[in-house]
Amino acid sequence: MATAAHAGHRLERRYARLGVFLIAPTIVVFSLVIVYPLLAAIYLSFFSVYTPTLEGEFTGADNYIRLLTNAAFWNSLITTLIWTVGTLSLQIVFGVGMALLLHQNLWFRSLARSLVLFPYFVSTVVAVLVWRWLFNDLYGAINHGLMQLGIMDMPLDWLGTMPNAMIGVILVGAWKYFPFVVIAVLARLQTIPEHLYEAAKIDGAGPIARFFDVTLPQLRSVLVVIILLRAIWDFKEFDLIYLLTGGGPVTSTQTLSLLVYQEAFALNEMGQAAAYSIGMMLVMLVFMLVYIRRTAREA
Amino acid sequence: MAEVVLKDIRKEFGTFVALERLNVAINAGEFVALLGPSGCGKSTTLRMLAGLDFPTAGEISIDGRVVNDVAPGKRDIAMVFQSYALYPHMTVAQNIAYPLKKRGVARPERDAAVAKTATLLQLEPLLNRKPRQLSGGQQQRVALGRALVREPKVFLLDEPLSNLDAKLRSYMRAELIELHRRIGKTMVYVTHDQLEAMTMADRIAVMHDGRLQQFDEPEIIYNQPANRFVAGFIGTPSMNQLEGAIAGSSFVINGEQVPINRALYEQALKDGPVVLGIRPENVSLSGGSLPATVRLVENAGHEQIVTVEIPGGHRLLAREASGQRPSVGQTCQIGFDADFIHLFQPGENGSRFETTGQAHVIPMQAQRSASDES
Ligand SMILES: Nc1ncnc2c1ncn2[C@@H]1O[C@H](COP(=O)(O)OP(=O)(O)OP(=O)(O)O)[C@@H](O)[C@H]1O
Ligand SMILES: [Mg+2]
Repeated sequence: MATAAHAGHRLERRYARLGVFLIAPTIVVFSLVIVYPLLAAIYLSFFSVYTPTLEGEFTGADNYIRLLTNAAFWNSLITTLIWTVGTLSLQIVFGVGMALLLHQNLWFRSLARSLVLFPYFVSTVVAVLVWRWLFNDLYGAINHGLMQLGIMDMPLDWLGTMPNAMIGVILVGAWKYFPFVVIAVLARLQTIPEHLYEAAKIDGAGPIARFFDVTLPQLRSVLVVIILLRAIWDFKEFDLIYLLTGGGPVTSTQTLSLLVYQEAFALNEMGQAAAYSIGMMLVMLVFMLVYIRRTAREA
Repeated sequence: MAEVVLKDIRKEFGTFVALERLNVAINAGEFVALLGPSGCGKSTTLRMLAGLDFPTAGEISIDGRVVNDVAPGKRDIAMVFQSYALYPHMTVAQNIAYPLKKRGVARPERDAAVAKTATLLQLEPLLNRKPRQLSGGQQQRVALGRALVREPKVFLLDEPLSNLDAKLRSYMRAELIELHRRIGKTMVYVTHDQLEAMTMADRIAVMHDGRLQQFDEPEIIYNQPANRFVAGFIGTPSMNQLEGAIAGSSFVINGEQVPINRALYEQALKDGPVVLGIRPENVSLSGGSLPATVRLVENAGHEQIVTVEIPGGHRLLAREASGQRPSVGQTCQIGFDADFIHLFQPGENGSRFETTGQAHVIPMQAQRSASDES
């Protein structure tokens, strides 16, 4: 008995050592690509650094004071929130709607299921070029179509004026990323037991009541995860907005990512850019904490 | 008055015929069991009654109204699913109240109805729990509660006890019988467990391969099975069936003669092949005329099941009170109690030759304890 327990103990220790050995590569890579840049950014944010040479001098909290007192960061934060909330809401509404549609027994279901993924898989650069062509004020298909239909009589400058530019960016973002919501929701829909719907039918629930009383509660958990993930990704979205409007007109679609980029590579203020990115990270940390609190409470 | 009527129901799934020429009329207040092996179409029948599936042909009526085109929620039925199908995000109270809520019952009346149902099913301490915080038996009671709360005309239950362990199952069986007695509603109960059907139902509809085999009271199903399938399906161990022939006034198998009652062979009409059916409890291991060898003795404590082999290689089961133990290899002269011999038409599912005035009444008590052994 004692020897068996002893052997078991030894085996457990061997497993533990093996475990450490197996996750070691991950930890090393993780440190190199995440922890090091993070520490470097924090370090840089206390300097005034000239980007091309990466030389500069220690300035203490100056960068953070500028962050707090100048309007640039706060305006950009508001822009980021508008963009995130706007595009995320559309992604969720269209994503859930499309998932419900594709969950029905339609004859073109399998074809539609593959087609719907197209925006998500197409490269952002390609997608944005196409959309810029569609949005173009002189020869764009959207203006052309709307004028043909008689909805407007003058071509509209979609990406060059506000609020059109923000609306355009939000729409393209929703178009690009709603397939992610579709996939996740569709996967969950397929696991909802059919019996629940049948019970609801017998209990006298119509299609709308069945959606709110059976489907939606079952989707809740997956929606929380989707919203969190998409919120984080949308919050730090860069290429789509940069390619579509470059942050313009002026700074009206300049989200925090674009602000950091501009500060670092257009104004060559690497230290200030680092401070902005730390600020951005802290905002996202708030999201994270809210999420962790929520999931902890639910479990 | 018949409350639930299935008339000439046929159900096809693609080219597969799941139900054929199904005719059943269930009386108001009756407890009817749909009994049959897996895949015989019990659930399909129940789902069509509920309106979750639709017959390919035929007519379903509930309380005199044809309901073929009536939505499940408007049929005045309630159903208990095998998996319970409780709404996972709602509390027990909300689950039970849901059918009332969807029918626009006001809050105070709803609460009163839930409280009443909870008392009936002893659910009061659980009202604020979520389904996943309940045991199987408790979930089952909540599912029943959700059905009961509305006082529908007909209850449909699809193997509601099959997820429970043996002890809880027999407890819930008694509860359901008691409940039916108290509320007196029509219940249609699907099961593949003959013990459940025999003990609970007023009448049993035995189904096989999408066809109704027999629809009658448990005693009659047991004592006068309509055909070879019912004879073999009801009773454990099941009825012995021997293929032989009628010659003169005897049943002949492998040259050996088994005397049978006059009334019986008169029904069998003429000499020719028949199947003889005899339940193990009506086979005696001595004093008979059929030579046999004991092949296996299974002791179940209060009784033993003895497998014997007769010439020609046929095996028979005999149920013997424990006491003297026959030993394996021993030869004996087995006999059948002539009053309990059944004759069936030859063929896979030959029907039984009816006899008039045959003394075939086993007291219910004895018979139930016989089926209890399963
Ligand atoms: N949706 C369906 N599509 C095709 N075949 C089906 C469908 N539903 C049931 N069947 C077939 O119809 C037959 C009867 O099914 P049913 O569910 O009524 O059986 P059951 O008697 O309830 O069996 P069990 O005791 O296993 O629940 C089975 O052979 C089954 O394969
Ligand atoms: Mg079934």
